[in-house]
Amino acid sequence: MNFFDSESESLQFTLFNNYQHSLSSLPSFISNPNEYYCGSAFMIKLPQIHIGKLSLLLAILVWLGLLFVNLVRLVGILNEMDSGIAIEFTWILQILYFITVYSFYKYSINKSTQSDFLNLIWRGASTGIFAVSVYLIIGFFYTSLGESKLAGDPFLKTFFYHVRFGLMTIFLISSSLLWQHLILYQKTKRVVKQWQAYEIALLIAMFLVFFDREAYEYSFYFGMVLLGILAVILSTNLKWIPYLTFKEKWKSLLFLAIIILSISYILWYTISVDMEYEYYPANLMGNLFLISLFWFILVYAVLSFLVTLFNLPTSSVFEQKLTEAINFQRLSQSIQPEENEEQVLDILMDSCMSAAYADAAWLAMKSDEFPEGYFQERFIDRKTREEISVLIESQKAIQDWESEKRPDNLSPINLRIAHSKYESILLVPLVINKSVIGKIVLCKEVRDGFNKEMLNIISTFGRQACIAVENHRLLNQAILNERYQEELKIAQRVQKSLLPTQLDHNEYFDICAFSNAADEVGGDYYDTYKLDENRYVLIIGDVSGKGTSAAFHMSQMKGIFQSLIQLNLSPSEFMIKANSALSKCLERNHFITASIFIINTAKQTICHSRAGHVPTLIHKKKLNKSEYLEIDGLGLGILRNMQYENHVVERTFTYRPGDVLVLFTDGIVEAKNNKSNQFGYERVRTLLEVYNELNPQEIQTKIIDSLHDFVGRDRLIDDDYSIMVVKFTEHNKAS
Amino acid sequence: MLSIETQEENGHTILLLKGEVDASNSVILDEAITKVVVDGSNSILVDGAGLEYISSAGLGVFMSYLEDFQEKEIDLKIYSLSERVYEVFKILGLDQLMSIYPNKKTALES
Repeated sequence: MNFFDSESESLQFTLFNNYQHSLSSLPSFISNPNEYYCGSAFMIKLPQIHIGKLSLLLAILVWLGLLFVNLVRLVGILNEMDSGIAIEFTWILQILYFITVYSFYKYSINKSTQSDFLNLIWRGASTGIFAVSVYLIIGFFYTSLGESKLAGDPFLKTFFYHVRFGLMTIFLISSSLLWQHLILYQKTKRVVKQWQAYEIALLIAMFLVFFDREAYEYSFYFGMVLLGILAVILSTNLKWIPYLTFKEKWKSLLFLAIIILSISYILWYTISVDMEYEYYPANLMGNLFLISLFWFILVYAVLSFLVTLFNLPTSSVFEQKLTEAINFQRLSQSIQPEENEEQVLDILMDSCMSAAYADAAWLAMKSDEFPEGYFQERFIDRKTREEISVLIESQKAIQDWESEKRPDNLSPINLRIAHSKYESILLVPLVINKSVIGKIVLCKEVRDGFNKEMLNIISTFGRQACIAVENHRLLNQAILNERYQEELKIAQRVQKSLLPTQLDHNEYFDICAFSNAADEVGGDYYDTYKLDENRYVLIIGDVSGKGTSAAFHMSQMKGIFQSLIQLNLSPSEFMIKANSALSKCLERNHFITASIFIINTAKQTICHSRAGHVPTLIHKKKLNKSEYLEIDGLGLGILRNMQYENHVVERTFTYRPGDVLVLFTDGIVEAKNNKSNQFGYERVRTLLEVYNELNPQEIQTKIIDSLHDFVGRDRLIDDDYSIMVVKFTEHNKAS
Repeated sequence: MLSIETQEENGHTILLLKGEVDASNSVILDEAITKVVVDGSNSILVDGAGLEYISSAGLGVFMSYLEDFQEKEIDLKIYSLSERVYEVFKILGLDQLMSIYPNKKTALES
């Protein structure tokens, strides 16, 4: 018996709890102990177990106390002497009894928090049955006593009076707490406030007896009317009823009937028997609190009974709507990438059939994945399906429907057919990405079996399923795209590595280069090669077109350059052999332009050949002038025969220290600004004339910056562009 | 942006090009020329007066027909190219391989 050990803590806890809940309706030993005591320093072991037991024990003790006090007072009344116990003791014990019973039930109902309505009502009903049985047993006992002396014994009568009072209070309080649960289902702030007001009014009603001293005055009737009205207002909260299934409704009707009968019996017994009992030491049952509870429980039970009864015929509609909502939710869930579309279509079929109460259905898909059509049949065989299909096709409305130009506008269509079994048909289109991918055909055996509501819900189902399928496809697409992006990134990395990071040169010239692709990969190419100590080869090239195909050809060009150049060819020989090699590699409508330079730093000469590439710019320091190298030439891969030789020209010229060569691709001169003007050759030339004193890196930066300024910082250059700058140094640098 | 108009004139088929030919629309030019050839024309005139720009991909289209036309003895003449566009043909060296004329009259007379 360790709940006495914890009693002080429990009381402390109660005070604390009430402090927390200043608005809390009735003083209670319960509410959620865990909330406040978890982790508290002086937490007692499992206090929640004791609260139920404690209030139960207290209730029994208080009841016994009440019985004792009243028996003593009865002795006083019978002997017409003052027992020394004022009637206030009875009242205090009575109120204490109410409160302890309330605490016990509040706790025990809260603890079994399954919000199963049937369970709750059954609890009320079973308590009612118990109370009524005890009433009946007591009545039977008295009947068996007959006219014996014991039957008239006031002490025995008082004892049974107290038993009935105790049971009645238990039944009333427990039922009212059950009703509270039902009323506060889907609660709003307003309802909670109403309930709190009702509880406070009940609390006041308990104490009313101290003021009117059992004289039924105006305050009593006023309180009764007020509580009665509040009870009726609260009783309109019956939101739990629609959630019962058809079967549950029947059960709850039975339980409610039991409760109504029990309460009626107890009420009748109280009025007709107990109120007539003249020896009672105190009128325990005439309390406003109990009268109000009688009224509240009866009103709510009757209203619930009637509403449940009248809800019976429509309950299937509510159940149907609930199923539809669940189906809708299932359809809305996006398909996981590893799942397939058929599962969604499966759910769609089920949903449509249940929403329309269809007798049979089939699904017909016509898409690339199912060239011969994908069929799924439900409660229908292939033969019947084909029969109906023919009947459907023959209808004019369907021909119009199927030739609809804008599938977005398609909605389910309702048909009558002259088939031996099925008389009405509903066609549901499945539209994904503006094209019809299939249809669901629902069949019913009755004529005009599909109403407007079914059409609405089914078309919503159809659309939702299509969205789910479309999302699924888009997701797969996105995953695929992601992979392509990865591949392109690899291509980009590989291509970057094809361009030299170290440019071959010696102390007689400085060199730098830069290349930028419009897409991930591009078709521009530049390279260098060291023939010997004094001779260096520079090449710049541009593959026609851009993007991936250009990138492939660019890599071929690199291979050709690196192989051929080792043969110590002259520029024109190189071009002829490169043309011949590329003729076998390039697609028919592709070509490559290139410029090649062989620099001899010992002789200070440059040997140059141009194959259709944009002219190279040279700055001559002596003349302080920049100009383009004029030389004929034909792009590689344009003439794929020996005639090409006739179009190759080679030129050798000398350079001087301080001269600058600028090799670039057409991406630079053809870059356009927002007015569609091209950057042009002249701008590059002028830039070199101005900045030729700078080192190659600086010249290159100036040209690229100027290009970006021209195009506009916020615009992209939509072609590949490359640039290579070579500056010949003074002799003294060598020494 | 590229639009191509096809006209018939005294046994010549004239293709009027308007706009720009680049990698994205060079296919249209290719299809237009193929169609003219399939239709049996053996003298094709390309009016480049409205041509504002041609990229390497566009040049690739003309280039791809060179040998084919030589074999089938189909004449392809280009005229009225703007200076800027002609420059592009010239730099690539196509002016040495293709018949390019300053205007329609000279193109027809040759």
